[in-house]
Amino acid sequence: MIGGLFIYNHKGEVLISRVYRDDIGRNAVDAFRVNVIHARQQVRSPVTNIARTSFFHVKRSNIWLAAVTKQNVNAAMVFEFLYKMCDVMAAYFGKISEENIKNNFVLIYELLDEILDFGYPQNSETGALKTFITQQGIKSQTKEEQSQITSQVTGQIGWRREGIKYRRNELFLDVLESVNLLMSPQGQVLSAHVSGRVVMKSYLSGMPECKFGMNDKIVIEKQGKGTADETSKRRPSAPARSGKQSIAIDDCTFHQCVRLSKFDSERSISFIPPDGEFELMRYRTTKDIILPFRVIPLVREVGRTKLEVKVVIKSNFKPSLLAQKIEVRIPTPLNTSGVQVICMKGKAKYKASENAIVWKIKRMAGMKESQISAEIELLPTNDKKKWARPPISMNFEVPFAPSGLKVRYLKVFEPKLNYSDHDVIKWVRYIGRSGIYETRC
Amino acid sequence: MPYLGSEDVVKELKKALCNPHVQADRLRYRNVIQRVIRHMTQGLDMSGVFMEMVKASATVDIVQKKLVYLYMCTYAPLKPDLALLAINTLCKDCSDPNPMVRGLALRSMCSLRMPGVQEYIQQPILNGLRDKASYVRRVAVLGCAKMHNLHGDSEVDGALVNELYSLLRDQDPIVVVNCLRSLEEILKQEGGVVINKPIAHHLLNRMPKLDQWGQAEVLNFLLRYQPRSEEELFDILNLLDSFLKSSSPGVVMGATKLFLILAKKFPHVQTDVLVQVKGPLLAACSSESRELCFAALCHVRQILHSLPGHFSSHYKKFFCSYSEPHYIKLQKVEVLCELVNDENVQQVLEELRGYCTDVSADFAQAAIFAIGGIARTYTDQCVQILTELLGLRQEHITTVVVQTFRDLVWLCPQCTEAVCQALPGCEENIQDSEGKQALIWLLGVHGERIPNAPYVLEDFVENVKSETFPAVKMELLTALLRLFLSRPAECQDMLGRLLHYCIEEEKDMAVRDRGLFYYRLLLAGIDEVKRILCSPKSDPSLGLLEDQAERPVNSWASDFNTLVPVYGKARWATISKYQGAERWGPELPNTASFATPGPLIPEESKETVQELPDSDALMLVPSCQLTAEYFEKTWFSLKVAHQQVFPWRGAVHPDTLQMALQLARSEYSGRPDSLSADTQIQNLSVATLRRWPRWSLARASELV
Repeated sequence: MIGGLFIYNHKGEVLISRVYRDDIGRNAVDAFRVNVIHARQQVRSPVTNIARTSFFHVKRSNIWLAAVTKQNVNAAMVFEFLYKMCDVMAAYFGKISEENIKNNFVLIYELLDEILDFGYPQNSETGALKTFITQQGIKSQTKEEQSQITSQVTGQIGWRREGIKYRRNELFLDVLESVNLLMSPQGQVLSAHVSGRVVMKSYLSGMPECKFGMNDKIVIEKQGKGTADETSKRRPSAPARSGKQSIAIDDCTFHQCVRLSKFDSERSISFIPPDGEFELMRYRTTKDIILPFRVIPLVREVGRTKLEVKVVIKSNFKPSLLAQKIEVRIPTPLNTSGVQVICMKGKAKYKASENAIVWKIKRMAGMKESQISAEIELLPTNDKKKWARPPISMNFEVPFAPSGLKVRYLKVFEPKLNYSDHDVIKWVRYIGRSGIYETRC
Repeated sequence: MPYLGSEDVVKELKKALCNPHVQADRLRYRNVIQRVIRHMTQGLDMSGVFMEMVKASATVDIVQKKLVYLYMCTYAPLKPDLALLAINTLCKDCSDPNPMVRGLALRSMCSLRMPGVQEYIQQPILNGLRDKASYVRRVAVLGCAKMHNLHGDSEVDGALVNELYSLLRDQDPIVVVNCLRSLEEILKQEGGVVINKPIAHHLLNRMPKLDQWGQAEVLNFLLRYQPRSEEELFDILNLLDSFLKSSSPGVVMGATKLFLILAKKFPHVQTDVLVQVKGPLLAACSSESRELCFAALCHVRQILHSLPGHFSSHYKKFFCSYSEPHYIKLQKVEVLCELVNDENVQQVLEELRGYCTDVSADFAQAAIFAIGGIARTYTDQCVQILTELLGLRQEHITTVVVQTFRDLVWLCPQCTEAVCQALPGCEENIQDSEGKQALIWLLGVHGERIPNAPYVLEDFVENVKSETFPAVKMELLTALLRLFLSRPAECQDMLGRLLHYCIEEEKDMAVRDRGLFYYRLLLAGIDEVKRILCSPKSDPSLGLLEDQAERPVNSWASDFNTLVPVYGKARWATISKYQGAERWGPELPNTASFATPGPLIPEESKETVQELPDSDALMLVPSCQLTAEYFEKTWFSLKVAHQQVFPWRGAVHPDTLQMALQLARSEYSGRPDSLSADTQIQNLSVATLRRWPRWSLARASELV
């Protein structure tokens, strides 16, 4: 149960404050500002206890969102709720920034009214919420819409309303992955994992039943066995189709609409999708990850006042593909006085304020290699502290899934309306981004 | 209100709201209302325009209605008479054909938080419960809880409760969950909503239809249900199995807790569940949402307490990344420290050694302490790493390493030799009190093995006048006396000087008393000193065994997925102790939240409160009336316990206590019975303040 919700800007000014329970007073707003936002030391914990009141906060750019309660609640749940709130707000007005919040504060109050009542989370699906939010102004509702509210959520499916119609039935699938890497200076992978999401945007009429298939190892093996049994009679030496093309998923979770019982028994993913955009599944893999880039650092200390740095990056994917927005960040010591950089490709710049050399490359094809070398001049200091050598980090975007995940099919069945699977226009896109992609040097 | 200059704003807004031209233009009218709300958000007192806002509620514009209702809910407690005027409009809206308007009006009406509103809302709520729109039913169900809260201690309306129980079978999932929440609040005095077999099974069947919030809530309510037979128990567990894989970490944790509690008699089932949630927990630990990651890490630590090897093969997942926030790094280091085993110890130590030179001193120190923790099992490797760290000659590293050594020597006496060899030379790099204390202690206890121990201590004795920390001086006294017993020739002169200084010149009473104590002890003869100072210490192995004892899963299962793992058990105990006292106290008057901006309690004072002793004397329960004499008697009788928990630190104490008292007092202000509570506190503070000087005076006179 949440007693109140506050939104602050970076200075600690209150942008939104909504109190749901009597036990949270106005002074709670100030207490959080004084003890957390204005505190001198860095944030100790996202959960703060001030005078026996727990404050849960998340930060989005420079906006603080805080949920307040006096009860012994589930921390994970409260954070999830705050994330959800951010998502809902972002769905209405885009990025969460001070300006956007100020401009939409009526809308936010409306949202807060609907998604929480007496401190208890109510409906938080953006699609379903749209019926209740009247931000567009004086819009007296038509009879039809009124009856919709009545009929909506009649108990069957909370995430989709009935009677949706589209002239063109379309769906978009995005496989969004973020690949995380921690590599030792010697090129040994310390840890690597891919956390991915399959996001679906559906514009389908009626109550369509969808079935989603991917190259999950367990499914492929199961099928492989099935077909192998059949084919073995004819071709005894048929090679198994699995192997390199299937991936092992460590764990995955699904949107509420997916029938989990079916997934458990048959490993098939079937569901009635919500209208519009939603996250179908979220997964994580740790095995056989294609690391799109390899960073090879070479740091040499020449005397006490000079450092020589050479960094080679190698792209490790099909030559026909192009990586984009590549950025390599090479940290420099605090006492750097001057930097000379030479790079073969892209632009490199020393940013004194960030204590780093930032090397940007717009595009790079697969199986290529590029390097940068820099000479860093240091001011002599009597600070005995050794430079801690922060890792070299990298950002990029590649048009494939580093986990190796492939969408095999997405079938749509709508028995009541007269369109079939073939009439639906489907789009699939793979985007691999860097998460925390660090190489120690 | 703390903000000045609100009068002008109020006047101006009032004029604008009354202006017929503005009223005629919907957009302008709404803009003015928006400005009122904006000022309200910023904390300005906008109750002055209540009348005008009530008038503005009579409109067809839903946005305007929402804004006005928000305003009214905030200020109604301050203007109850004027708020009654709005009830008419609200009641009318409750029978509007549009379900959204009905719901909105009902919700606002129930949130009005003012006395006397009950009689008006009772009927609309009852109508709302039977409304055909689920939206209105949801609002009405929670309205019941709000109404009950307004009544305070009024008796429970049986008919209403029955109606709510029957609504548990409602079609709409949110209505069902709201019913549970509402019943829980209404029936709080009787132990909350009853979950019997039919209700439990009904809820279990509805679970897949609920959204994540509902699922988490229902899982929490199901904790109360006790399956009759083993068969039923396993049926339930099978039904719940899929929620261990839910996309929402909150639901996963809720389901885990339910499993752990239901299967409390089947340890193998519990272990099995913890294996199953390993994946989701690890996913949460490496997720991009930092706060969630933090919460998950806290729970991973909790699990590791009982199953130390549980995450050992995944140790790499807990390696810190450079860009992670501080609080996550600290948690990860703690986790790493707990999951070491023979296979991964090398890698983990290697990794931790990297953190020791981190830019953030806090983090570096945490890493060193972690190595110290691992050293209890893998002593040699760790002592070697720690010794190497001393070579860096960094102040913040050296002090922590020495502190780690002190703890280590006590727990693992076999490493004493290595530690003694590493110590010489580090005194140059220690400046803070904790580090000095640790070093002096080590020199005192194991001085016979460190050749230059007397000379290091001599330096401290030379500079004792400029020493700022009394604790260091105390430690120095003890250490020097100990060393004197093993190496009398080198120490006698120093000890004399130090004792002389402490007794004649020292201003801190505690140090002076300690000096005198040792002086008299020496007068009793050297054998006596040896008997007292060098008598066998408490058996270290006992503490170690206790520390490593298996903590069964059941000991923390009920705390899983609450704030306890996040705050830590000890801290939570202090927090909840006060809450317990508060729960039975009368409800705060509604106006208090606005009229009195309570004093802000700085973080520091809160910390000190937590250190307060557990004695009953400080549990100021307002219900029991104590006379001043009786209170003083109790207080004095508690003397011994008090001394134990409060290490004597000289002048600090009156302040600390004062601060604590202020805190306690601010808690009690604004209560109807605050008078009696206040007098008690007065008594307490007088008694305490008198206590300390008297005590030390007695000592002083005794000595002279």
